[in-house]
Amino acid sequence: MCGNLLETRDLRVEVNGVPILSGVDLEFEPGLVYAVLGPNASGKSTLAKTIMGLPEYKITGGDILFNNQSILNKTITERAQLGIAYAFQTPPSISGVKLDDFICRICPDYLCKVDSEHLMGESCACKDELYDDFERLGIRNLAKRDLNDGFSGGETKRSELFQVLSMRPKIMFLDEPDSGLDYDSLKIVGCELKALREKGDTTLVIISHHRYVLEFLEVDKVYILYQGKLVYTGDMSDIPALEEKGYEKFLAEVTG
Amino acid sequence: MTSDDMKKRAESAKEKLAQYGDDINLDNYEYTSSEPSEIESIDDVSSADQSLVKEVGFDPTQEKVSASFMQFDTESILADVLLSQEGLEVLPMSQALKQYDWLQNYLWKAVPVDVDKYTARSELETYNGYFIRAKAGAKIGMPVQSCLIMKKNQSVQNVHNIIIAEEGSELHIINGCATPSEVEQSLHLGVSEFYVKKNAQLSFTMVHRWSEKTDVRPRSAAIVEENGTYISSYALLSPLKSIQTFPKVRLVGPGAKSDLYSIVYGTKESKYDIGGLLSLEALRTNGKVVSRSIATDSSEIIARGDLVGLSGQTKARLECDGLLISDSAVIRAVPMLLARAEGAELSHEATVGKVGAEQLSYLMSRGLTEDEATSLIIRGFVKLKVPGLPDALQNSIDSAIRMSLEGGL
Repeated sequence: MCGNLLETRDLRVEVNGVPILSGVDLEFEPGLVYAVLGPNASGKSTLAKTIMGLPEYKITGGDILFNNQSILNKTITERAQLGIAYAFQTPPSISGVKLDDFICRICPDYLCKVDSEHLMGESCACKDELYDDFERLGIRNLAKRDLNDGFSGGETKRSELFQVLSMRPKIMFLDEPDSGLDYDSLKIVGCELKALREKGDTTLVIISHHRYVLEFLEVDKVYILYQGKLVYTGDMSDIPALEEKGYEKFLAEVTG
Repeated sequence: MTSDDMKKRAESAKEKLAQYGDDINLDNYEYTSSEPSEIESIDDVSSADQSLVKEVGFDPTQEKVSASFMQFDTESILADVLLSQEGLEVLPMSQALKQYDWLQNYLWKAVPVDVDKYTARSELETYNGYFIRAKAGAKIGMPVQSCLIMKKNQSVQNVHNIIIAEEGSELHIINGCATPSEVEQSLHLGVSEFYVKKNAQLSFTMVHRWSEKTDVRPRSAAIVEENGTYISSYALLSPLKSIQTFPKVRLVGPGAKSDLYSIVYGTKESKYDIGGLLSLEALRTNGKVVSRSIATDSSEIIARGDLVGLSGQTKARLECDGLLISDSAVIRAVPMLLARAEGAELSHEATVGKVGAEQLSYLMSRGLTEDEATSLIIRGFVKLKVPGLPDALQNSIDSAIRMSLEGGL
């Protein structure tokens, strides 16, 4: 068995002085798919944002290891460059920065030449493949729009997914990638994730409180967080029971 | 009004303080009294001056323009209308006033001569500038480029411009103003009067680059008639000593429309007091005043916007956004709305803030460094997209902004 790509050890986190995670140990191996489940306010998003290094999440104890090295003193940028990616639930809008230019910028594969005379500094010409990919994700209409400006819930999910996919990360945290999606969009997102799983070079961590997107791809391991702690580790086979009984009852039975 | 009456009114306002901005002692400067000399061709302009004017969007090769106008201080002038531009006229003001008696009726009509000491002084001293006219029905697709250069120390550039877009015409002007950085103290007085007749379209794009010792007091106004459109965009990107300007646009005919855009990139110790007023005086008149300010170093920016609704069935919006990226800089946004008629729909949105922490974290999570993320946010913020502006002019604004940011960031 190979080592962990990323792990948290007794991770304790507070936000504005309120403890959210109170000692969480999780392990993520290379190339596997994880679902982090749990009821609202169980600390799922906090876990991902803390691993990404967002400043509001204050670590009060424990450690985060990436390839067995602590990343606590690394900046967000350094973590991103190591290969950690996080798809935001409600990303801020950035005016004057077009989505296609931005994706080109974060993914050099799409870039075919540097900015020409008539374009603004950060602009560039992007390869046609970029637009094919926009097309495939069903968000061609967003290409020339300002980043996250007025995107609908479903558009945001797909734009975020597109961005983190473009970064070719080693591990990606998808924060409720299925909430607010209609069935067609859900299918698109599900297929993307399935394809990613089949390639097998990215660890996928799906944060959710329901199972919609999980119907599209096999999950290797399920972690359930409850009140800031890991309370259960299981696999796909637990999901039907979990769905039938709900968190309270399921957890009462399995931990009882 | 006879020119004697005009001088009398100017005399009476000689000491009248301006509504806004630091007061300037006008006696500290030298004024020109001689007639301007004529520059035969752009080829006679030195290569140093040619590269200076390029920075403010002037293309010395004249490739994609319909006409060029250049003025150095108040002294030498080039006015060149390219062949085949039927219905377009570009003349030095001194010559136009001799040629057309009727032009007197437009002089100081949009901007009253006794607004303040600056307009008064402008009238009382020798002035020059340009007269640009698109004749009725003429569609001038290529822009007219003009630039005003100040090179003399301790002196005043006194400019009076009149622009007329006659009925049904279309006219686009790009105006660059520049001062070489070695110029010591100087003052730019610029009066510009715009007349947009029925169904005419006029766009006026300004890209300005002054020196740190220059004070600038432009006084401009526009009168827009029935279904006419006036679009003004102003990019001020260099440091200067101070500028105060508050152009007024009167929409006097039904359906007239005007959009005023400005972008100010404040640097060093510069003081900017920049505004715009839209006066909605007839049915269905409408428009926007949009300003973006970025204050760095110890700059001070006041961004004013004023909407005045004097008629029903009118609509106007004010957007005033400021980005502060230094603890010693200041931004003050002053939105004003005045409605005097039922059915005047006026709205505003004003924001002043720093680069958002959430935006920074977001971009950094995509692999950008903090500096790259900050720069991307600022570049995005200053992008000034002016709907309805020809591509060539939009490109001039974009490249001027890009050049300034490359120096500053």
